[in-house]
Parts: sequence; structure tokens; C-alpha cells
Amino acid sequence: MEEIKNNEFSYPGLGEIIFMKTEKFIEDVLNWGRSRSLWPLTFGTKCCAMEMIPFGATKVDADRTGTLFVGDSPRQADLILCSGTISKKMARRLLNAYEQMPSPKYVIAVGACNISGGLFHDSYNSIAGIDRIMPVDVYIPGCPPRPEMFLDAVLILRKLIKENKIKRYENGVLGRDKS
Amino acid sequence: MEFLDEIKAKFPNVLESVDGSNENESVLLLKDKTKIKRVCKEVKNHFDILFMLMAVDKPPKIFELNYVFSSYKTQNILTIRVNIERDKAVIDSISSLFESADWEERETYDLFGVEFIGHKNLKRILLPEDWPGRPLRKDFEVTDEVRNWTGLDLKF
Repeated sequence: MEEIKNNEFSYPGLGEIIFMKTEKFIEDVLNWGRSRSLWPLTFGTKCCAMEMIPFGATKVDADRTGTLFVGDSPRQADLILCSGTISKKMARRLLNAYEQMPSPKYVIAVGACNISGGLFHDSYNSIAGIDRIMPVDVYIPGCPPRPEMFLDAVLILRKLIKENKIKRYENGVLGRDKS
Repeated sequence: MEFLDEIKAKFPNVLESVDGSNENESVLLLKDKTKIKRVCKEVKNHFDILFMLMAVDKPPKIFELNYVFSSYKTQNILTIRVNIERDKAVIDSISSLFESADWEERETYDLFGVEFIGHKNLKRILLPEDWPGRPLRKDFEVTDEVRNWTGLDLKF
């Protein structure tokens, strides 16, 4: 009998099944809530940040998706809108701001410079793509992108959060979110 | 110009007019780099600010430093040009005479590696402190090592 008890391929009991279902249900409800109130940290370093202003203004209304520009502090934000070239000196500040944000946190890379380095891909003083230093969930192409594309990116991010497909570095290894 | 003659009279055989310079934008070549501080002290009687400090890399031997001064009253511009050796790029700082020289000298130190003796806070101004190399020198090459340098201890 002891051998059967220690067998790792044994089927879960009814209690375990109920626990797993409940845990998943709670996580789903939490994710539904998270996806509908994304407070962004506007990390604007260059010209793409100019397109971020009409994104929050009347015509392309960011507020109706729950993306409220409140405070602009990493402590209250759960989405970082990184727009503009990141120089090598700025990379540490960006990572510093990213690490101050409470988990779960999401990243949107705005513009060509953040995706691949763009115009400055060959420079000695710029980071060729911020996915070299942090995980990125949604990329917005363009130089600079239109404000409507920000709205599209937020809608895509909402979909990703609901389907649990958020990228995250855990213990230094890039992995899909398990929780 | 009057001020040119006055400055030149104080330092005979050391200062020399460069051909092709305008009336309002004159260029003086300084032959002895150890006298830069004394010359600038004299220049301060006629000019208010140092508004630019350029370094030009002329391999294989020379760095050419251009101190550009300007006057609010007369709107004259004076450039003092000094050639220093590329291997031993050392010159006296004039940040005690002109306040704006502080950041200009730090920038030249950052991008060219010219050392200014007597500067109070000589460290990099644009690039990170631990960045390798001097990027505006002609012999600097942008290799993959430089491109991928982040200065961060990331393990992925």
C-alpha cells in the first residue's frame, strides 16, 4: 500500500480538484479586473512621447479603456509605456523604475527605437531594443506611431492578460506566466 | 581690432593671428599650451563668456582645442586655438576663470579623454561612469562589444 501512496502519477482527489478550480476561478476574476484598470507609467524620453499626449486627450480617449493617467509614479502603475530612444545611461533608470512597480506589471514598447534601436541601432550610446533589458508584452511599430495605435496596443494587452499570456522574467529566466 | 593688439602685445611670440579670420570673428593660435590660463585671464578683460570649447581630433599626433569667447557689449567673437599632443593630452583648466568652462571641459574629457589639470569635478558628463573608451576619437571603432554593452548585470 505504501508504494501506491508514494506514486506520483496518482489521480488528484475531489478536494484537490475543487481547490484547483477555485484557484483558477479567482485568478481569472483578478485578471479580468487587472485588464480593465491599467494605470500607465509614461516613461517618455523622446518624440514618441508627443504621440502619447493625444492618446490621453479627447479624440482617442484612453480613459474609456480604464487607462487612467494618474500620478505617473512607478509605485501606483502597473503598465509602463516606454516611448523614445533609451540611451545606455538611461537603461539603468528605466530598469530602476520597472523594478519599483508592484507585480503584476506589463510593458509596452513604443516606436522603432524601442523595438530594434531604429535610427540609432548602430550607435555607441543607445540600447538596440529594450527587450534586451526587460520583458516586453506588446510592441507598437512606427516612427512615431499614431495615437490610435496606442489604443490598439492597450486592447491587445487586455486580451493577453485575460488569456494569461504575459511574459515575465522569473529567477532570471524568461517564462510564460504560470499563475 | 584694438583688443587683438592689446592681447597680442602682452604675449609676444606666443600668440599668432590665423589667416582668413574675419574682423568680428578672429582666431588666435596659441603656441605654448602652458600659458593658456594666463592668456584667458587677459581675454577676460575684453570678453564675458566662454560659449564653446571644441576639440578636433587630427591623427596621428594632434588634438586641436578651440576656446570660443564672446562679448555681450561689442558682440565680438574670439577663438583661441591650442594644439596639444594626442598621446599626452593634458592642459590647464580655465574653469576658475570662466564658470561655463566647467561642463565644457567635462564634455571634452568624456568624449576625447583630454585631462584638465585643476578642474574640481572632472568626471564623465554624458556617458555612464564605467563606459569603455572615448567615442569621438578617430581611432575608436563601434564594435559589437560596444553596441551590446548595457552596464547591467542581467542573467538571461
